[in-house]
Amino acid sequence: MTTTDDRDVPPKATRRDFLVTAALTTAAASMGSVSSALAAEKITVADPGGIYQSGFGAAFYKPFQAETGIEIVNVAREAEPTSQIKAIVEAKSYVWDVVSVTLSSRKLLSDQGLLEPLDWSGPEMDALIPAARQPDWMGTNVFASLLAYRTDTMKTAPNSWADFFDVKKFPGRRSLPKSPIIVLEGALLADGVPLDKLYPLDIDRAFRKLDEIKPHVSVWWASFGQTTQLLQSGEVDMLYSSNARIQAAIDSGAPVQLIWNQALYGLEGWAIPKGSPRAALAKRFIKYCANGARQAAYTNALAYGPTNPAAFDKIAPERAKFLPTAPENFKGMAQINDDWWGANKDKMFDRFNAWLLR
Amino acid sequence: MTGEATTLHPAALSRPLSPLLALWPLLPIALFLGAFFVYPVLQLLTLSVRTPAGEMTAQNYLRIVSDPIYANVLAITFKIAFWTTLVSILGAYPVAYLLATASAKRRNSLMIWVLVPFWTSFLVRTFAWMILLGRNGAINRMLISLGITDAPVALIYNLTGTLIGMSHAMIPLAIMTMLPVMQTIDPNLARAADTLGARRGQTFWRIYFPQSMPGVSAACIMVFITSLGFFITPALLGGARETMITQVIITQVQELLNWGFAGALAVFLLAAALLVFALYDRVVGMATLAGASASVGRARPSMLGRVGARLGGAILGALGNLCAAVAERWERAMPGSAQGVLGKAALRLAFGFVIGFLILPALFVIPASFTAGAAVEFPPRGFSLRWYQTYLSSPDWISATYNSFAIATMSGLVALLIGTMAAFALTRRRIPGKTAVLALVLSPLIVPRVVIAVALFYLYSRLELVGTITGLVIGHAVLAVPYVVITVMAVLSTYDQRYDQAASTLGASPLRTLWRITLPQIRPGLIAAFLFAFITSFDELTIALFVTGGAVSTLPRQMWSDMLLQINPTLAAVATILLVVMTLLLFAGEYLRRRSP
Repeated sequence: MTTTDDRDVPPKATRRDFLVTAALTTAAASMGSVSSALAAEKITVADPGGIYQSGFGAAFYKPFQAETGIEIVNVAREAEPTSQIKAIVEAKSYVWDVVSVTLSSRKLLSDQGLLEPLDWSGPEMDALIPAARQPDWMGTNVFASLLAYRTDTMKTAPNSWADFFDVKKFPGRRSLPKSPIIVLEGALLADGVPLDKLYPLDIDRAFRKLDEIKPHVSVWWASFGQTTQLLQSGEVDMLYSSNARIQAAIDSGAPVQLIWNQALYGLEGWAIPKGSPRAALAKRFIKYCANGARQAAYTNALAYGPTNPAAFDKIAPERAKFLPTAPENFKGMAQINDDWWGANKDKMFDRFNAWLLR
Repeated sequence: MTGEATTLHPAALSRPLSPLLALWPLLPIALFLGAFFVYPVLQLLTLSVRTPAGEMTAQNYLRIVSDPIYANVLAITFKIAFWTTLVSILGAYPVAYLLATASAKRRNSLMIWVLVPFWTSFLVRTFAWMILLGRNGAINRMLISLGITDAPVALIYNLTGTLIGMSHAMIPLAIMTMLPVMQTIDPNLARAADTLGARRGQTFWRIYFPQSMPGVSAACIMVFITSLGFFITPALLGGARETMITQVIITQVQELLNWGFAGALAVFLLAAALLVFALYDRVVGMATLAGASASVGRARPSMLGRVGARLGGAILGALGNLCAAVAERWERAMPGSAQGVLGKAALRLAFGFVIGFLILPALFVIPASFTAGAAVEFPPRGFSLRWYQTYLSSPDWISATYNSFAIATMSGLVALLIGTMAAFALTRRRIPGKTAVLALVLSPLIVPRVVIAVALFYLYSRLELVGTITGLVIGHAVLAVPYVVITVMAVLSTYDQRYDQAASTLGASPLRTLWRITLPQIRPGLIAAFLFAFITSFDELTIALFVTGGAVSTLPRQMWSDMLLQINPTLAAVATILLVVMTLLLFAGEYLRRRSP
């Protein structure tokens, strides 16, 4: 599988990238007063920070700045930026011009009229997969929610949610999140509901199935970041998480295998807070990020799937096999239904919390 | 004790001011919290009684009442906070006692160990516990290799893990609150009791323990109230049942954008916490904290108040008597010489155990920072300095470090100034509704930070403070003021005001008395208060992210973004550098202080 070389390269490259970014940022900052006086054009882009800053920096921010002269100020946002966007729009304090949000957060924000419509003209915008296209949001990357297991401790390799629920045939320590999202879907998949007939979710059936697995869940995880460590340290043998978090464990050398079967996918993408005075520049930047070759550039740092299929012309096959939108992986997957969740999240959180505490 | 303090009240000697005018030291805190906490937060909370269309509604509150889940989560929150308080006070008391009775030189060098957890960010600490306490973690491996257990023990992902993580964060706070109070206890009293023939146990339980109560009382309140607001630690170290109400509020704010319901839940939490505070005041009595004047200050003590005060006194008295009785029984069974040795050994053992617990995560973080591998692991793989190089060569990290120090120092000083003034007024003046004032001062610790952060953003956008360091300093000072007020009140309540009286009899002006007599004597309390304020800001993430939109980088913000996918050894390197720098600074300060005449 992964060789030691594979393992060591990405972090090193990342760090070098990061140093380069840092150096460029300093250079840009020291010239800041001059260039901004001349150009006076800059936009603030908020992403989740950390590894995104090196991935998106190399793919989008730096080339865009170099080509257009529009300065990109990159800031790290909170894990869930919806309330900040609401505050920005309502208080008209535009500290962000472009922000990355998930498709399900877009639904929430769009329903409250907090996002600016985008400019969808041009061939590259047309090339994006349908799921990436919303009037006020453009998907930049696809993540997969899937199962993974330790190859050293699982005697028989599991390959489905049914296997995850089968504690006799697949003994081992299991972990699920303290959240109903994907867990309800997983329970229904384990109970025999086909992947393409999940929604609307049969909630009672899902909770009945979950009752079976509850006593066998060793760890209820609270953040995606935690799942990397749970697998890496061998705290559990099987869990559900997002593919990039599991990839981080694989990249650091843990004997872990992804299960692409029955994976559900979701998207992250760009949105503009409604009424941004720099909306025109922001739209220009977003359109720039639709390009396939540029999207390919972030996949080294971020194990996410580009939304422009042309990106795979530029991605090496050995990396592509870890990416959700690689044709091989993508064909068996179904999309998380954000509309269903948007309408039911509140009730589901309450019911799930009550179920957990029971 | 009570009668003495009332008759010798210096304010009684020099009271030309009208009662209302005498309250002027409360003015800064009233204006500050009024403008930057009460007003913006109330505005946000009013969303809870309005529909999106703007009409009045009780719907959000009815929802809380109608679904048992919310009361259930609130009960769990209080239960976890209660156990954390109990564990923290029991762990902190022997340490504070030993530090208070040690020589100044020893105390100051031992103190540095107590402060170690302060300098390792809560993000790093929580992660360290996850690795240390895990199934394959260092502690379980040690237990198995020593033959204490055959299979790994479940130390984490349950209530135990939650209490370990939370009490680790709270024990230093408890020690630092109790210590200044214990330091003001006159050792001659214990000697007098000895001379009069009291046994060692008796002297402690009847003389020392009651006098240390203001510190214990203050520590209880601070630890309990702070614990109510925890959510990251219980979420990461707890199991299915460790759900805190703050977590539910955050979900409503962030994931559901339902600020009305979040506001209702925050009011629910605030009301429950203040109810507990009021009951605590009635039964144990904040009188122990606010000096005797608290009970005097109440114009007409209510029936409940009097019964409560009696009950509290009786409980404490009974507790002291019980302990004294047990201690006496124990002492009789032992030859006198063995007692002393055994008592001291037990105390030292407790001290060593607690300090060991406090520095354990640091002991893990330091070697982890020198790993040659790409992940934080124990034991580390190989040796390298690459993570230090990453930190030192990164302008982002360096400017975050600089910002954090500057913001923490400034907000610490602001909080210290207005908090100390308020503490003086609250301990020394007759103030109607003192409990209510204290409740208000404590509220910033109870209202979830995300609510304060959102509220401040709206206020700041009108004041043009969004994205500024000033805005961040103010926000952090709001969070830090309660710690300053309680800590300084605790130390003032045991301060012997006859010193001030003597100074004023000898002709010193009130200001001169304050500057030359009072402040130098309560210095340990002021230092503790400043450190709490400093660390509150230094470790704060929510407000730092929100009110600046991420534009002002601080250390927790930088760590947060760095640990997105997994914790990398840079964080361990940063934590180690901070630990070493802060410890050296403390040593240097101590050295300079001892050299100066």
